[in-house]
Amino acid sequence: MSLWVDKYRPTSLAKLDYHKEQANQLKNLVQCGDFPHLLVYGPSGAGKKTRIMCLLRELYGAGVEKLRIEHQSIVAPSKKKIEINTIASNYHLEVNPSDAGNSDRVVIQELIKTVAQSQQIQSSTQREFKVVLLTEVDRLTKDAQHALRRTMEKYMATCRLILCCNSTSKVISPIRSRCLAVRVPLPSTEEVCSVLVGVCKKEGLNLPTELARQIAEKSGRNLRKALLMCEACRVQQYPFSADQDIPETDWEVYLRETANAIVNQQSPQRLLEVRARLYELLTHCIPAEIIMKGLVSELLSNCDGHLKPEVAQMAAYYEHRLQLGSKAIYHLEAFVAKFMAIYKKFMEDGLDNFMF
Amino acid sequence: MDEYDEMYGIEDDFEQQFADELEVMAEMERESPRNVKVSELRSKKQTFEEALTSADSALPDAPEREEDESLTPKAKKRKQDVVKKLHFEAAHDEDDEDGDDGNDGNDDITPQKSERTRSGFSLSLSPDRSVATGPLGVLDISGLEVLQESPKRAAAPHHALKRPPASGDFITVTDCTGNRVYLRKNQDQQTPDPRFFRNSQNALGLLAVPVEVLKEQVSERRHRQLVEESQRLTELLNSGIDPELLVDEVPEDTEDENSNASDESSASRLWVDRFAPQHYMELLSDDFTNRCLLKWLKLWDSVVFGRERKPRPPTAESRANSTSAQNQNQNQNQRFKTKSQITEEILEAELDQYKRPKLKVALLSGPPGLGKTTLAHIIAKHAGYNVVEINASDDRSAELFQKRIDTATQMKSVLGANEKPNCLIIDEIDGAPAAAISVLLATLNRKDSREGEDSTSNPLKKKKKKESVLLRPIICICNDLYTPALRPLRQQAFLLTFPPTQQSRLTQRLAEITRRQGMKADTGSLMALCEKTDNDIRACINTLQFLHGRGQRQLDQRVVNSMSIGLKDQNKGLFSVWQEIFQLPRLKRKRIGGDPFGGFEEAGLKDRSQRLQHILHLASSSGEHEKLTQGLYDNFLSMKLKDPSLTGVCSGLDWLCFSDLVNEKRIGGDPFGGFEEAGLKDRSQRLQHILHLASSSGEHEKLTQGLYDNFLSMKLKDPSLTGVCSGLDWLCFSDLVNPQLYSTREKQQLCELIDTMINYNLTYRQERTAEGQYTYILEPNIEDVVQFPGLPPRRQLTYQVKQLIARETELERMRRVERAQQRHNPQKVNPQLYSTREKQQLCELIDTMINYNLTYRQERTAEGQYTYILEPNIEDVVRFPGLPPRRQLTYQVKQLIARETELERMRRVERAQQRHNPQKMEKVEEVKEVKKPQAKKQTSRNHQQRLENIVKEAVVESKPEMDFFGRTVVPKEKLAANSETDEDGKSSGNLQIGKAVGNSDVWFRFNEGVSNAVRRNVYIRELL
Repeated sequence: MSLWVDKYRPTSLAKLDYHKEQANQLKNLVQCGDFPHLLVYGPSGAGKKTRIMCLLRELYGAGVEKLRIEHQSIVAPSKKKIEINTIASNYHLEVNPSDAGNSDRVVIQELIKTVAQSQQIQSSTQREFKVVLLTEVDRLTKDAQHALRRTMEKYMATCRLILCCNSTSKVISPIRSRCLAVRVPLPSTEEVCSVLVGVCKKEGLNLPTELARQIAEKSGRNLRKALLMCEACRVQQYPFSADQDIPETDWEVYLRETANAIVNQQSPQRLLEVRARLYELLTHCIPAEIIMKGLVSELLSNCDGHLKPEVAQMAAYYEHRLQLGSKAIYHLEAFVAKFMAIYKKFMEDGLDNFMF
Repeated sequence: MDEYDEMYGIEDDFEQQFADELEVMAEMERESPRNVKVSELRSKKQTFEEALTSADSALPDAPEREEDESLTPKAKKRKQDVVKKLHFEAAHDEDDEDGDDGNDGNDDITPQKSERTRSGFSLSLSPDRSVATGPLGVLDISGLEVLQESPKRAAAPHHALKRPPASGDFITVTDCTGNRVYLRKNQDQQTPDPRFFRNSQNALGLLAVPVEVLKEQVSERRHRQLVEESQRLTELLNSGIDPELLVDEVPEDTEDENSNASDESSASRLWVDRFAPQHYMELLSDDFTNRCLLKWLKLWDSVVFGRERKPRPPTAESRANSTSAQNQNQNQNQRFKTKSQITEEILEAELDQYKRPKLKVALLSGPPGLGKTTLAHIIAKHAGYNVVEINASDDRSAELFQKRIDTATQMKSVLGANEKPNCLIIDEIDGAPAAAISVLLATLNRKDSREGEDSTSNPLKKKKKKESVLLRPIICICNDLYTPALRPLRQQAFLLTFPPTQQSRLTQRLAEITRRQGMKADTGSLMALCEKTDNDIRACINTLQFLHGRGQRQLDQRVVNSMSIGLKDQNKGLFSVWQEIFQLPRLKRKRIGGDPFGGFEEAGLKDRSQRLQHILHLASSSGEHEKLTQGLYDNFLSMKLKDPSLTGVCSGLDWLCFSDLVNEKRIGGDPFGGFEEAGLKDRSQRLQHILHLASSSGEHEKLTQGLYDNFLSMKLKDPSLTGVCSGLDWLCFSDLVNPQLYSTREKQQLCELIDTMINYNLTYRQERTAEGQYTYILEPNIEDVVQFPGLPPRRQLTYQVKQLIARETELERMRRVERAQQRHNPQKVNPQLYSTREKQQLCELIDTMINYNLTYRQERTAEGQYTYILEPNIEDVVRFPGLPPRRQLTYQVKQLIARETELERMRRVERAQQRHNPQKMEKVEEVKEVKKPQAKKQTSRNHQQRLENIVKEAVVESKPEMDFFGRTVVPKEKLAANSETDEDGKSSGNLQIGKAVGNSDVWFRFNEGVSNAVRRNVYIRELL
């Protein structure tokens, strides 16, 4: 019994539910027999990975689905041992090099080298190249990305890279220029609805269209999230009712509470409480960017119109620093503190104006 | 076995004493050691003599017989005996008197010996005798007889002469003190055959023992005397046998010393050693700790001190407890804290099957200067052990460590003074390599495995046999208990953490010392001293001695406070650093109420900068920036903030963010990693400053980094210099010297400032003040101009900032020059091809480089290529981290610059020299005049420089250079040179060449092998 997300994941390009034109293009691309390096990007939950796996299947056949998980340990020049997990089939290798943190450069170089240097044995029956799938390329360090650009050219004969990321802004331009960029946009609400309905039908359930639409909207068109929510709804109440309340994820609620706490009171003590909450979120693996985003949207909805531009600007500033730095909590808290300061000043000024 | 028993008996004695009250025992020790120990010591040595004397006395009749039997050997015997008597007088007398009594008399010898003037004599000679026994052997006795009849001293006046006798043969004899006497040679009735001497001693002479041997004996005797003396001293010191005696002695000494300051020991010995506690009761460290360690050590008694001890432990414990401050009672009546209870429990715990305590190692920990080592030594002595110490000064590789541990724990000295069991003290164990510690652990655990094996059989028997089982206590001492290497040891050790010394006790002791040393010090100042050194006993005493040594007899609070010594370069723990940061010092700041602008702020600023310095020091010494920052972050919010607008919090967090960025960059491993790490300290310092400001309650301006202070105190007067001032201002508040750490805005302002300075042609010039300090002075000094008289002087930038500005300005200037130069023709590498303007720029550049003492240094990279590197490498420094690297000059250009710089520098030196002796100057002046500056400034100078080199070489140096020069170089130039000057003759020697070079007006030197020697037509008229 697996999650619906996994259970009903399309396995071939033909079976994809949306962006069919793109799927067709990909098919054509593969049918030529060769393709350039790919850079697949798009928001999470859009189906990038699904699309890539379909592409690989199209390329190599069912053999790609025989996956094995490997633990590789690589020794960096500084004698540091790096452990990394890879998922591999006979034809491809999937790696998330950003797992290695600052030593990702070594991982990139070593792994790709080992893969690329070994030729396919039966090159007559198979393609003469393997595919290395790198996920979360946008989290690679600059060093690793620079290491990647040379590798990409050097092992072109034996290896294709498929890079997968959310945003190309953090991928250095030399890499972007070496790849065929494929953007996978989010499905539209209707597409999400149809997928949800289709999945429910396959499960033998009857999903009201209103509920499907509601789920789609609540999920922010994130298909994975939508499917998970749908499954959660199923667990919560079945048969579905159209106005059923959709369970929200805990962290979202928690984040909202945090935002409210910030707005309610501005003091170091409150900041301390907020810090605890932020820590809580971070330790539950909620990415700092998402926390920041959630906070900002909640805070913006709570504060006065005059403050909004300032808050937004601040948020941008601290989000940027967050990306540059490594200790997310500092930046999140700095943002919160700054917001508190601004908000408090604004309120006091307003009070003063009111008094006089 | 006999000996063993004997020793055992002694041990028993010891044990008996031990069983008594601790104090009583100490008392006993004061009295007994003289007898017990010294006699023991003597008896050890005596064994040799015993052997000898017994041998001697065993044959009292034999020599007589021998004498009767043969006459020839007799003569020889005589001779030898005489000599022997000369030198061994004391020994033989002794032997005669006491030796006959046999072993029984041994004990009696000691007192007699001590009365004798030459008591050491016999002892020192005993080995020699054993050497000499071969030839002398049996014959001794007869000689002795003779000697007794006619003692040498009586005879000596008759025969020994101060100067060589006028007539007759004589023998020169040098005695042990170096006096030389001459003995008249009497004709013997029976002239001994010289061969005998040869045969006997293989040397010709009247001395039976060759002089070499005698010398050796003498020197050895002296040596032994020394050794013995020192041994006696150390024993006296270490054993703590007679502290009273020693304590009595010390004051006497010191009084003597005070009266005549030239006493050696006062100068040579540290007070720390001199006033080190000699006895348990004198220990300054915490009583509870002392007691625990002692109790732990007592737990070993049953295993160390043997079989008879079996019933002992309970009684010993009870007695011991009843002695030392009624331990037991305290334990029962008074409930300790949990930790101490645990300690007690450990101490009360059952012994293991070998009768050893459960925890075989005691681990003392605490900051330096608490008396850990002293405690360990004293307690070990106290408990009757012989201390074997291993400390950081010993090699502590694993093998050696193992060896030493084994030696210390499993062996025991059979010979020598220390018949006591060993107690191993491993000092400074936190510095030992992990391998060594694992060796130690292995030693502990090894026995454990054996335990398992022979647990069934009688453990006592086993213990006797098994040498490898650890049967001796080990005390380890460390500063930092939580060193990673110590982790495994911690679990197996009896942990004792030293609490800080009580200030009152320390003060008391210090007062005692000062009193003895004739210094005057009141309690308050001593307290201040204690506080200053964090109650570090060693530091306190050393400081006192230092002051004493400087001739200071009066110690008051002012002296203590103004002293910069006695401060330890010790890194505090993270917690104390945090505490320092978050707490304002207790001292109330002085506020001058009257002047709201000046005084108040001055005081505030001064205080703040001092604090900043202090915190910087702390932070940089702590070393763990990551944790430090994290701790700051965790704690700064819980400070009590009077910060309604949250500005302080915001700025604090901003700085945290900044620190994170810097850290990230550093970890990112970019090439300037090390550099930024250096910057990191500045960063954290600054950060802490801000955090501190944010956290310490108080003035509003504190929360804004003191920035506005500067604005207030600064009066901007000159409208045209606004840029400068604002730039200065921005820099004012920053104690950072590192431009990389400036924020973008600051950077921009710095840039502006520099721009302004260049445009106005201002610069900071380094000057040395009369006091020898370096300052930077604005040149031209507009500060004097722009300041209104009567106003207080504006706050000056710090030296560092000025330096920074000066450097940056100069670099910027240089950069501009370079840029201009590159723009024009970056490929041109031959200075002769430069245009006038370029040349000028080059000149400027070189000037700059020389003024700042910059140069390009050639270096070989790993790939074998040569590059030129700016030295000091300011490029790293001046480059802002975010900016792309500036375009580098090409190798050739750098080479050119390097060369030109070198030349220019040489030229300057030359000029400076010439200024001193104007005679030389003339020539150069001439040469200089020849140059047409507008045409070939660089090249001509270049030539000139070369020429001078040649002159120097030619005049000073010798052949090979000349030959080379004359053969290869001169012919070519001679064509040119000859046309100008007649002086240079073809056949003229090297000297002439040198001269000619110096005197001629025009020179050209072919630059062989240099690629940039571009051919070009040179006309004489250009040169003239």
